[in-house]
Amino acid sequence: MKLRIEELAEVTYVVPEGRLDFDAAPGFQEAVERVLGGAGKSLAPVIIDGTGLEYVSSAGLRAFLLAARAAQRSGIPFALCALQPAVREVFELSGFSRIIPVHADRASALAQTQQGRA
Amino acid sequence: MDHPSVPSRARTARTSLTLPVVRTPVLRWADAARAKIQGFARLLVESRGPYARAFENLILALVIFSIASIGVESIPGLPESATHALHVAEIAVVAIFTFEYLLRIVAARNKFAFIFSYQGLVDLLAIAPFYTLGFDARWLRALRLLRLLRVLKLQTHFLETVVEERTRELAEKNAALEKAQAQLKAELEVARALQLAILPAAFPARPECQGAARMIPATTMGGDFYDYIELPDGKIGLVIADVSGHGVPAAFFMAVARTNLHELAVRHSDPGECLAETNDALCAQNPLDLFVTVFYCMLEPKTGVLQYANGGHNPPYVRRAAGAVEPLSGAGGLVLGAMPGSRYPTHMVQLLRGDRLVLFTDGITEAFNPAEELYGAKRLVDEVHVHGGGTPAALVERICQSVTNFAGTAPQSDDITLTVLTWGAP
Repeated sequence: MKLRIEELAEVTYVVPEGRLDFDAAPGFQEAVERVLGGAGKSLAPVIIDGTGLEYVSSAGLRAFLLAARAAQRSGIPFALCALQPAVREVFELSGFSRIIPVHADRASALAQTQQGRA
Repeated sequence: MDHPSVPSRARTARTSLTLPVVRTPVLRWADAARAKIQGFARLLVESRGPYARAFENLILALVIFSIASIGVESIPGLPESATHALHVAEIAVVAIFTFEYLLRIVAARNKFAFIFSYQGLVDLLAIAPFYTLGFDARWLRALRLLRLLRVLKLQTHFLETVVEERTRELAEKNAALEKAQAQLKAELEVARALQLAILPAAFPARPECQGAARMIPATTMGGDFYDYIELPDGKIGLVIADVSGHGVPAAFFMAVARTNLHELAVRHSDPGECLAETNDALCAQNPLDLFVTVFYCMLEPKTGVLQYANGGHNPPYVRRAAGAVEPLSGAGGLVLGAMPGSRYPTHMVQLLRGDRLVLFTDGITEAFNPAEELYGAKRLVDEVHVHGGGTPAALVERICQSVTNFAGTAPQSDDITLTVLTWGAP
């Protein structure tokens, strides 16, 4: 799995590409936690862009769960967007979409997270 | 000469006849001294210990010094005192080289062989000119360059030692790795045995229903389980679950989850409440932040009423007697162990005579073949539709065959678990 990080002034996008499975999960989790740790005092939202995410296993879900918890501890808005249908189904069946906000695209994710803070 | 102690002891025996008391201790002392000197020599020039290394470095430094001094001596107009100092240093250096040469002879097991070996000859050539020609001879300086050969010799020796040491270290590390791997494998075997032992052996006997199940553990060891629970009032509890992750942690969490659910099920007449309490219990004892997807249902065998709740698990399929296959609604509850206080609504479905319930884990739908294609839900639904009319055991066997045939040589990365229940089957 490949991972791209786009750091903008008001938001950081994390863009995973490929399969987030048992082998890829630790690296992904570490990278997201580093991004969360680097957000510093600005508390800019961190949004996972799932455009290129093809598959998420249960170990991958766990990485998302831990990242969401870390974000909550630091008070950083955390959300997902643009999930492929199969991945979206995994988040819905597992109930994860109840605890991590899932949005249609970057724009609505950013709008919602900023609204949530106001 | 190889074993000096042997002839001397023989001599001791002979002489002891004539001079019994006085000379024997002296000779013994001489033997001991000889052994001590030899031990000392070996410590300095033969062992691989810190003394030998320090001594070797000293010799190397002296060789470099003595070669450098040739250059210094040839500087025109060097003061008399400097020339004198260099001569003194030269005597000292040769004395130390000579001492080392003698040490090597003493240390050698075959002294003759050492003297005529390449090393021995180089050592000798490095010091011999000094003794045979006297250090004033002009061309001695050229001969002193022979000491360069010693550097080469030392380097070869040093490299050999390093290579030998690295090889030994590598072999040791390899052995340690192999041992660790064997231990890990043994632990995985224990976890796998635990996982299989915890599964129920037989479906509770009821005239109205039949059940069959199977789990094929993944090579990396997953955390799937299924369970049948005898509930009060003759009801039957049925569980299928999948712990996140692999290996020993997943197996442990699976055991904890299974035990909690099994014990709590008896106390709850409502599946949703049972999952909620199980979830809270798991959240309280979850140091590794694992979680488990659980589908739990209660069947009233007399009426065919099935009550169920779903904690993040793939919705099971109902195969109607006529062959239609549909997933059970009400999925999307949160997995257990992720967040305390989660709620799980209870749903209800009326089974009709001849209906089948198929519970499965994603080890089936997410099985890969060598071409990296997914088995997928459609293949499973097709199997259930076409072959679901027989006994539960036959359908379980059929689906497992279908998945393993599909996967072929591709490694099985997740547990494959399947439970089939028939109600009111003819």
